[in-house]
Amino acid sequence: MNTAITDLLVEARALTVRYGAKRAVDDVSFTIPKGRVVGLLGHNGAGKTTLMKALVGLARPEGDLRVLGLDPRRQRVQLLASACYIPDVAILPRWARVEDLITLLSGLHPKFSAERARQLLRRTSVGLGDKVRTLSKGMVVQAHLALIAAIDARLMILDEPTLGLDVLSRKAFYEMLIDEWCDGERSVVISTHQVEEIESLLSDVLMLNEGKLVLSISLGDIDARFVALSHDAAVAEQMAAAHPLLRYRTGPGPGGNAAIFDGPPPAHVQALGQRVRPSLVDLFVALTRRPELDRTQF
Amino acid sequence: MQTWDQRQPIYQQLADLLAAQLLDGDPPEGQAMPSVRVLAGQYLLNPLTVNRALQALNDEGLLESRRGLGLYVTAGARERLKAVERRRFLEVEWPRLRERLRRLGIGPEQLHWGDTR
Repeated sequence: MNTAITDLLVEARALTVRYGAKRAVDDVSFTIPKGRVVGLLGHNGAGKTTLMKALVGLARPEGDLRVLGLDPRRQRVQLLASACYIPDVAILPRWARVEDLITLLSGLHPKFSAERARQLLRRTSVGLGDKVRTLSKGMVVQAHLALIAAIDARLMILDEPTLGLDVLSRKAFYEMLIDEWCDGERSVVISTHQVEEIESLLSDVLMLNEGKLVLSISLGDIDARFVALSHDAAVAEQMAAAHPLLRYRTGPGPGGNAAIFDGPPPAHVQALGQRVRPSLVDLFVALTRRPELDRTQF
Repeated sequence: MQTWDQRQPIYQQLADLLAAQLLDGDPPEGQAMPSVRVLAGQYLLNPLTVNRALQALNDEGLLESRRGLGLYVTAGARERLKAVERRRFLEVEWPRLRERLRRLGIGPEQLHWGDTR
């Protein structure tokens, strides 16, 4: 077997998805190897949900797209045997008991393991006899993850799974994901707005801005490519003159300034500040623009 | 959730955290380190980051890998860590502290060095 091919779970080349005249996803190319936790970041309307839909064959893209070596539109049934997906509009039927859902999935999905689902649910406070409508929002999402993670798949796609959850539920969700899903072979793609919170979980980032892929990088490479310098207010003008991607505040007082550069700035500029770790949220602010801000700028 | 500062890469911060625990005897020398998955779940970190931190401790000779069993704390790891900490204190922290003591006019007799409490 050719490992070079099978190790890439997703290969997208010049991928475009149009809704009428609008390009929701605009000429995007990237790959996702196995064993990765990929954060898909972008403002509302940036194309995250459309891209995820394309990955599971629910949107009609132009360009080349291979997911697990398959064409998601033409080989969707085959693909969904080894890829699982929780859409942003996911709901579990309110009238069902959790045990009923396990029975349902056992009949529906060839790679679903009822035993594994029960084992995963034991991590949560969700009981097998509980009706979905009696569960809190956090418990529903955990139950949903437990059901989906009980599918022996290679790729999981989660569209804003923790939206509207409190911090403890989000933590429990991510704990289950890391503990029970990430085994070095399977990959997961997660979209979220909680950039700060998810940063340490990610191995890679895909950042979308108005349909365009503005960043596709591994977290390890961020430190090598981007240079963040914390500096004193007194040298702010010299920093600005070196054209950083973004200038921001890191804390109170005159020392709490920072500038982030794509690639190392000239040595005389580097000497003016102290190198710090560029955070994902700063990069996000630097590389994406809210559409409403763009309109007011011009 | 565990917070990571912006001064250093996250893997380095985890390595420092684990080294501090080793210095306290957790886990003791000769015992197994928790697995990558356990640490990843505990600190909510990507397993690759955890791997990198463990690799850094391994490179410093604090951990050793036993075939098929995973990483173990090496014999002498605490002594080695203590030596590193001691050197860091004497070379970096002590000169600063001494400077501050001088500025404040605090002499050895006011530090009650001999007190056991």
